[in-house]
Amino acid sequence: MENVGIHENWQTCFSQLAPGLLVFARQWVRSAADAEDVVQEAFVKFWRRNHNIDNRPLLYATVRSTALDFLRRNTRRARRESDAVAETAQVVEPQFDTADDAQLALAVAINDLPGEQREVLVMKIWNELTFAEIAQVLGISQNTAASRYRYALAALKKNLPAQ
Amino acid sequence: MNDFTDLENQLEELRPLRPSPKLVERIERALSEAASISTAGIVVPRRRIRLDWLALGAGLVTAALLLIFAQLRSERPQNMSQRIASAASTSVAPVRNDSSSFVPEGLTRVVYDTRDEGVHFPSGSEQPVRRVRSHTRETLRWRNPDTGALLRVSYPAEEVSLIPVSGQ
Repeated sequence: MENVGIHENWQTCFSQLAPGLLVFARQWVRSAADAEDVVQEAFVKFWRRNHNIDNRPLLYATVRSTALDFLRRNTRRARRESDAVAETAQVVEPQFDTADDAQLALAVAINDLPGEQREVLVMKIWNELTFAEIAQVLGISQNTAASRYRYALAALKKNLPAQ
Repeated sequence: MNDFTDLENQLEELRPLRPSPKLVERIERALSEAASISTAGIVVPRRRIRLDWLALGAGLVTAALLLIFAQLRSERPQNMSQRIASAASTSVAPVRNDSSSFVPEGLTRVVYDTRDEGVHFPSGSEQPVRRVRSHTRETLRWRNPDTGALLRVSYPAEEVSLIPVSGQ
């Protein structure tokens, strides 16, 4: 499990993984800035420990646990923010580059998915993890991961406006 | 799953936002801070190997010390343990005391702690000795045969034994 990569390699690895990692981290935090904080902390932790970059389940598990720690650390602040958000209109920072209304509707529908379905969808679509890897990250069976993915797609299909 | 092919294609077309350029800078800074402590990547396994050698050396030294200690203990004269054993089971034969109605019934000496304080070189002695300190509790009992009353006196005691160590 030793990382044989040299220091310069991290930029190559990170540039490929960063967008997916950020979408993944965004599920637990409210802003892109917080998601970047989480990804930075997790990636640095992962890289410093010389884990093999091919061990993607471990990388995503690190991001997930870092995000959950971040949530716990910032509970009070998050509560304040959620109160502020509740007082105003529901403003959600975009996670995707949306080209048209259809993509915008899709992004909103993803945001409305139950958390356990959304995280599987995010890992599968934008991080290209296999169900076996997703199962490893979440500590669930491969079948459960596949089921959650199908439920997520079904929910999206149901909730999207007919085109 | 075919029902969802179009939807999966739409999802894949949805591009996540790119990270800000500052994020890369921040990670670079954090990693270079880490590198200044332990340098990056390749050095860490080498450090681990060094630690393993250190642990192995420490283990060997400990094993050697244990062997020496065990050997020294086996050289201890048997008489000490015999003395303690006999003392522990010492009992005084009942003797009728005419001046008192209480009759000595027994003495019990319990050794509850023996500490080996190592080898010492007492002044005036040519031979090293091992000092062993024992903590005991001695209990004397008297009984009145007429009334059956029991009198018991218990007190702590400390004994230091100097056991000659043979040089071999």
